[in-house]
Amino acid sequence: MTETLPAKRLSEVSLNEWCRIDRLEGPREDCERLLDLGFTPGEEIIVTHAAPLGDPLVIRVRGALLALRKREAAWILVE
Amino acid sequence: MTTRLSEVESQTRELTLCLVGMPNSGKTTLMNAITGGNFRTANYPGVTVSLLRGKSKAEFGPALSIVDLPGVHSPVAPSPEEELACRVIEGNHARVRPDAFVLVADATQLERHLKFAGFVAKQGKPLVVALTMIDILRRMDQSVDVEKLAAALGVPVVPVDPRSGEGVAELVKTVHKFASAPPVGSALARIPDEPVSAFKVIRDLLQGSHAVRRVSRLSGLTDSHTTRIDRIVLHRYWGFPVFFLVLVSLFAAIFWAAQPFVDAIDAGFSLAGDLVVRVFPESIIARFIGEGVIGGVGAVAVFFPQIMILFFLMTLLEDSGYLARGATLVDRPLSYLGLHGRSFVPMLSGFACAIPAVLAARAIPARRERILTIWIIPLMSCSARLPVYALLLAALLPGAAWSAGLSLAGIYVGSLLIASLTAGLASRLVFSYRKPSLLAMELPVYRTPRWKPILRMTWARGSSYLRRAGVPIMTVSACLWLLSNFGYVPKAFVAPAKMEGSFAAQLGQKMEPMLRPMGVDWRVGVGLISAFAAREVFVSSMAIVFHVDADNDQTAQAGLLQQMRTATFPGTSQMIFTPSSIFGLIVFFFFSLQCFSTVAVVRKETNSWRLAGTQLAFYTGLGYVLAVASVQALRALGVA
Repeated sequence: MTETLPAKRLSEVSLNEWCRIDRLEGPREDCERLLDLGFTPGEEIIVTHAAPLGDPLVIRVRGALLALRKREAAWILVE
Repeated sequence: MTTRLSEVESQTRELTLCLVGMPNSGKTTLMNAITGGNFRTANYPGVTVSLLRGKSKAEFGPALSIVDLPGVHSPVAPSPEEELACRVIEGNHARVRPDAFVLVADATQLERHLKFAGFVAKQGKPLVVALTMIDILRRMDQSVDVEKLAAALGVPVVPVDPRSGEGVAELVKTVHKFASAPPVGSALARIPDEPVSAFKVIRDLLQGSHAVRRVSRLSGLTDSHTTRIDRIVLHRYWGFPVFFLVLVSLFAAIFWAAQPFVDAIDAGFSLAGDLVVRVFPESIIARFIGEGVIGGVGAVAVFFPQIMILFFLMTLLEDSGYLARGATLVDRPLSYLGLHGRSFVPMLSGFACAIPAVLAARAIPARRERILTIWIIPLMSCSARLPVYALLLAALLPGAAWSAGLSLAGIYVGSLLIASLTAGLASRLVFSYRKPSLLAMELPVYRTPRWKPILRMTWARGSSYLRRAGVPIMTVSACLWLLSNFGYVPKAFVAPAKMEGSFAAQLGQKMEPMLRPMGVDWRVGVGLISAFAAREVFVSSMAIVFHVDADNDQTAQAGLLQQMRTATFPGTSQMIFTPSSIFGLIVFFFFSLQCFSTVAVVRKETNSWRLAGTQLAFYTGLGYVLAVASVQALRALGVA
């Protein structure tokens, strides 16, 4: 357990701020899906938009733009 | 037919080429380009998922049988579509046996799109990578060296632009070349199925190859064109006005732009039907052909303009990249109701007609959300209810056009509210055991639409509707014609001139005890039964049972209203059409699923009689119960 930057949930990260995925924490099946989509630990991602109602979030990952619900984004812990 | 096919097959067995890749890779557009639009959806027993099958164009050399497999994110397959695709790829499908694969990969997202290549490469069959979106890559100040990439991956790589057709001939040539001499041991086969290490292997492969060049680390990360448009389309304040504008145009197009075509088709078929009946005036067979069969074909054909326009606009929205944005905007409220962001298109279409709406629900990737969307579509106030409401509101509120108009608007808004409520309740009560699926929806880059592929796609989707829904709809309407024109009179089966003696009338009379609580008699029951062919038929059959003889439409409506104002229960002076009973009828039409065509399409789309039947019974039952309840409540309150 290294005490570097504390991990934050992706749902709490502000817009247009690069962050690195630390780990995924959520229902196993959904996390596997997120991994498949490219959200793997160590990867750098950025939240580019939030829908007018604040949810879903639009995230750039590995060259793609993906819309994730806040609930789902909360499973992604970033630093 | 079967013997001839197998003969041809044994002489020059066509190679089967499967197009595989992630969703949004441009597979289906490539399918279009290779086959020249000459493909059809093929359904195989057991699964609801359909495949696109076609033949390569003659100009590309010996014919290849092309199969477009559903897009796959991962071979660890969760959705039925992905499961089917993986089964075909592994060679475990009984009917589709691939000889070679084309992996369609988006050049701007190579890491994501090549991940699945490992699974395909492991099958030991010839594999060619088709690289799409090169134009977007250029827009992003990047370039890709195809030869270096091919050397690194160990499989041929062909850049293609399926939208313009550029590179497609080269791709097919490459497939022909490599199909005969399968390359062995590509680097792609080393990509594991497990995502974390798979992405690592691919990144190492790509970086080692120096195939993709970026001007700088930051430039070329995003497509500036897309970023600019998204700044408005996904804007906090502008996002919804833009979305609203798109909705209004969509609604206007399926509602009003289709109307002249609908009217023309309707008029054409009634003319043809009339002609047949007039040429052979005494023949019951001619009447059956003229009214039952031609009328039935007409019943299918009138939906066609709306369906074509809807599919055209949907393909346009999808192709341009807007559909996913619109879905993102409304996902919050819709997911609260247990629906999906993409449910907005089917729900909106439901206001025109439930049939294209049910078909439009295919665009929803998750099964739970798709079923729920299909479940609430019949509640949307479709255009077939309009003539019925017009008649009933005119009877209920005589002489006050504005109040009838206001009530009609209320019915429309009410149908949206009730549909939302139903979805919210059903997702919590009925579907609660299934957890909502991940949204994880890709927002593709914006591209200027190309008309030719869009029109081809529209035609492929629209004609597939005619084949799927056409037969059941025609059968039902022919059966209803028989029911309302034949009857059993003690001596023999007859074709009575009047409706009173028909099976439909007898059925109506049998139902009299059920109809009385609704405040109406068997004649209205006949109208309700005939409305199962299409709701607007209610008006014309009411005109028949209430003996309205009219020369033209105008007087038919006025004559029917006149009759309704004086109609009494047989043998009494008690009025049938009182405010309470008319209100009850409106309630009934509001809820009840009086449309066998919808039932047929729901059954086809969900592959489940149980679902379609439950839907029919539930809504019709609900409509009846609520109609009776409101009539009785109004009467208890002193409304006649």
